[in-house]
Amino acid sequence: MNNKNSNSDILVIGAGIAGIEASLMLSKSDRKVHLIEKNSYTGGMSIKFEEVFSNMECSTCMISPKQQDLLQDKNINLIMLATVEDVKGSPGDFKVKIHKKPRYVDMDNCIGCTACFDPCPVSIKNEFEEGLSTRKAIYIPCAGALPNVPCIDTNNCLRFQGKDCQACQDACMFNAIDFNQKDEKIELNVEAIIVATGYKLFDPNNTPHYGYKKINDVYTALEFERLYASNGPTQGKIQLKNGKTPKSGAIIHCIGRDKQGYCSSVCCMYSLKFNHYLKSKIPEIQIFELYTDLCIPGKSHQKFYEKIKQTGTTLIRATDIKITQQGQKIAITHTDEKGKKRNIIVDMVILSPAIVPNTDASQLANILGITCDDLGFYKEENQNISSVVTPKPGVFIVGCSQGPKNIQETVSQANAAVGKILSASQEGING
Amino acid sequence: MTDKFEPHIVGFLCNWCSYAGADLAGTSKLQVPSSLTPIRVMCSSRVDPVLVLTALLRGADGVLIAGCHPGDCHYDEGNYYTRRRFATLKKVVESLGLEHDRLCLSWISASEGQRFADIITEFTEKIKKMGPNPMKKNTGL
Amino acid sequence: MDRKIGVYICECGPNIAEKIDIDKVIKAVSPLDDVSIATRYKLLCSEQGKKFLEEQIKKNGLTHLVVAACSPRDHQHTFMTICENAGINPFLFQLANIREQCAWITENKEEATNKAIRLTKAAIGRVRYHVPLEKKEIESNPDVLVIGGGIAGMEASLHLASPQRKIYLVEKTSQLGGVVTNLEKTFPDMQSCPKIIQDKIDQVTNNDNIKVYTNCEVTEILGFFGNFEGTVTQNNNEDKTTVGFNVGAVVLATGCALFDPTDDPNYGYGKFDNVITALEFEKMNLAGNIRLKNGKTPKSVAIIHCVGRDKKGYCSEICCMYSIKFVRYLQNKIPEIKISNFYTDLCLPEKSYQKFYEQSRGKKNDFIRIDSIKITNPGNKLTITHNDEQGNKKSHGVDMVILSPALEPSVDTKKLAEFTRISQDDEGFFAEEHEKLGPVTTSTEGVYIAGCAQGPKSIQNTLIQAEAVAGKILSSLIPGKKIEPEVKVAHISESFCIGCKTCLTVCSYGVITFDSTKKVCVANEVICRGCGNCVAACPSGAASLKHFTFNQLRQELKEAVL
Repeated sequence: MNNKNSNSDILVIGAGIAGIEASLMLSKSDRKVHLIEKNSYTGGMSIKFEEVFSNMECSTCMISPKQQDLLQDKNINLIMLATVEDVKGSPGDFKVKIHKKPRYVDMDNCIGCTACFDPCPVSIKNEFEEGLSTRKAIYIPCAGALPNVPCIDTNNCLRFQGKDCQACQDACMFNAIDFNQKDEKIELNVEAIIVATGYKLFDPNNTPHYGYKKINDVYTALEFERLYASNGPTQGKIQLKNGKTPKSGAIIHCIGRDKQGYCSSVCCMYSLKFNHYLKSKIPEIQIFELYTDLCIPGKSHQKFYEKIKQTGTTLIRATDIKITQQGQKIAITHTDEKGKKRNIIVDMVILSPAIVPNTDASQLANILGITCDDLGFYKEENQNISSVVTPKPGVFIVGCSQGPKNIQETVSQANAAVGKILSASQEGING
Repeated sequence: MTDKFEPHIVGFLCNWCSYAGADLAGTSKLQVPSSLTPIRVMCSSRVDPVLVLTALLRGADGVLIAGCHPGDCHYDEGNYYTRRRFATLKKVVESLGLEHDRLCLSWISASEGQRFADIITEFTEKIKKMGPNPMKKNTGL
Repeated sequence: MDRKIGVYICECGPNIAEKIDIDKVIKAVSPLDDVSIATRYKLLCSEQGKKFLEEQIKKNGLTHLVVAACSPRDHQHTFMTICENAGINPFLFQLANIREQCAWITENKEEATNKAIRLTKAAIGRVRYHVPLEKKEIESNPDVLVIGGGIAGMEASLHLASPQRKIYLVEKTSQLGGVVTNLEKTFPDMQSCPKIIQDKIDQVTNNDNIKVYTNCEVTEILGFFGNFEGTVTQNNNEDKTTVGFNVGAVVLATGCALFDPTDDPNYGYGKFDNVITALEFEKMNLAGNIRLKNGKTPKSVAIIHCVGRDKKGYCSEICCMYSIKFVRYLQNKIPEIKISNFYTDLCLPEKSYQKFYEQSRGKKNDFIRIDSIKITNPGNKLTITHNDEQGNKKSHGVDMVILSPALEPSVDTKKLAEFTRISQDDEGFFAEEHEKLGPVTTSTEGVYIAGCAQGPKSIQNTLIQAEAVAGKILSSLIPGKKIEPEVKVAHISESFCIGCKTCLTVCSYGVITFDSTKKVCVANEVICRGCGNCVAACPSGAASLKHFTFNQLRQELKEAVL
């Protein structure tokens, strides 16, 4: 039997695919897990994708069984709308302070019927849908989000802005809406911490020559993912801002690579995936892919690339890309492989941006007592010991919080961090 | 013709993808014809051809088998076998004197609530045009 | 059997109550055989609702429970727990989905009610034929057989070993260490490989819970998760001994081989002097002896990336980086040497790789993009011919050519895949269970893969996979804890089985074996995943799937067509 002392709980920060995977594995070995998630939903970035490379598997089908397992797991204490405020103590005995914001909806009483949405008078841009559709002040981010319980956005809710409104509460038949919920401070004692806080995408506003936000129909990768998603703002219909179906599109790789100074390793593959997305909905569409180096490591990835090439896409090794409006269309000037200046005209542009650290990464690093590398990702102690180990024993970094990587590598790291924790606490092993 | 023919369609939905997609149609409050009675199985490959024939011979106007998209099967390759069985089933059904279009095989993922609704609507319309199952009087099975 | 079925219809607030005439449903199902009570309740999944159900079961002496409410994907688990608490087997329960798949999708109340009646009747029809199913507990062996004594195998072993868990580390050659023993430094941080590898070897050798067997070849692996039997043949000088292991899990960490460029006429490997592979160069470099065949020090070197990439059809992920590492080796050992790297696409997929590349560039080295290349040896001078970016033919003369070949599966992959009944992917590597979510598990439960045996990768990622395998085993094979396999599994009736083996051919998980004495197929209930494919395939009806039997499904569908 495993010797379990009172400090055998584990803290996992981030309920994306890495955090969920690590938590489920730890629970399987009868460890109690506190899984902290800053958003109101689980699944992180991966639930924004309709399909994943290279076999174009449905992302929701892949992840929702894990999310369901998570929600039903007795060993996992899922704390949502929560962040870590303070960590003290030493390996094996960390004292963690959590700040939990109120959802204002009772998770036990709410049955997910969504009757509270319609009556809400407030309508704002839905961040989950990358601003492509709206939501109410009481909302779930998308159809199928888990847990299927809404939360109230106090920055926009009339009541929390001092106005007199209780439309949602009036509509709820289950006494699930509770305006009196308060912020909570939770203290936990844990043996180890796994940091699985994920990433964000490089903001193309920092590279104005791509025309993002200045030209209609220039989309970022995540915006395009939501456009294609069957549970997204257009139910998967790919259309331009004017409602028309694009006849041509360009996918531009390596957005922000120069500024960031590294290759994000997944963008070429997901750019090819976008190619597949476009062709599957609009078979006659003409597609251009502009890239610098094709980075497709992974035993099954080149096969996928060859398949996409055969659908008639034009691949251009391009530099000096500049995107401008040309009437109703978009012009992309660039220098090709042979050094010649060229111009292509398309209806739609998709930008594939670099993976960059979260805005609050360094703040969390300070709290945890770990450091960030020059690029802002969490720093591993020594790549040739193990990339999940930090100089602070007991604190592990996994997934894109440690550096850009695909889902397979993320899951491996989550498994590895659990491996390290369970290994150290095997009976008879000196931790 | 008698007044409005309301088809009875049996649907075998796999737990991981198509049943989840059907649930999503529900949580999204989409309208789906009530002709379908869903039966949950763990994998579409569980659908024994004899069960499908039993349904038809008992008078089901249509039978739907829905599973994960090829390549996405929760049990690796189950749906490939479903596809093969379905191809053979169509021939058997014809040999019994029934229209093979009373059978429908669809791949529906967990996020395709709308698609589920569309498929059931289309299939129901198709069956309505075909008319009731001529075997409706058999209850011996 | 004296059945007493209790039928409870949940109002789910207004969600079901407003869309379905619940009283009509109650009226329709109450007279059915075995239904001893049919009633409604406001919200069955609430705390009061759960209590109510439990009390109802006990009070009415119910033997079976039917709940008509939301989707089984929401609350199947909840109601099964209530059954257990109330003293009835949790599998004597069926949930009719009259919310997501009825009330919420049917506007017309009459239609919705009729459908709800059908669904509830179907659930009652089915549940009559449910049988109690018990959780199984299987003894398991926590020990592990690790095949391959390279860095992956050693890392996994070190993380797994404990006084309660013995590790048998089996290595084909006479030494531990694998391919890393040939390297001087790692990339990108240029750490000493001999130190890294010796560290691991020392830790393994000094670990009492790891037993190392060198000069060993695996000859057989039988059994299943928790109970494998592995046999190896150990070649000690003239002696051949057979050693057997009883273990709970098997780890395949057999590394990879290098693509052999001999047959490719473009490279001149094996034809011209001083055309060597990356591994040959690593060995040369480690020995501190970078020399041409004639003993002289080279003044110019060409490093060719992507050798064999076209033939193999994949990018091997590490070659660009180790080719750049070679630039560093050369700059370090022969400062005046001129180096040219010829590549198609520069693959630098980790956060620190691009910096490594940029910092390796110098005045005396070039990185040249090519699409095709040919190496010739006119007048005994190695010459590299390629097209430049403008399409013009260019030539370079060099003293030495280093070829960076693709990584391919090791020669033992086929044999070990057969022994463990796992597949090889299209490229010949061990096939992982799932490309995204299962990189180190396989379709055979209890058999794990790590490192380059799964696909080309760096030392860094190899270590991660080895630790991941340890995590998987540590969380599922716990000393003293029994394995609780899936309950809703396949079963093959010995008397009805005709031995046609159709079930065996369709099973993706190696669950079914053929008993050649009895001439029947047998399903291993410990590793069955419960898909039912074999059941649908069986021509004689010998195979059945617990909780999804033919008869149970037939009863359910009877209601659907009436």
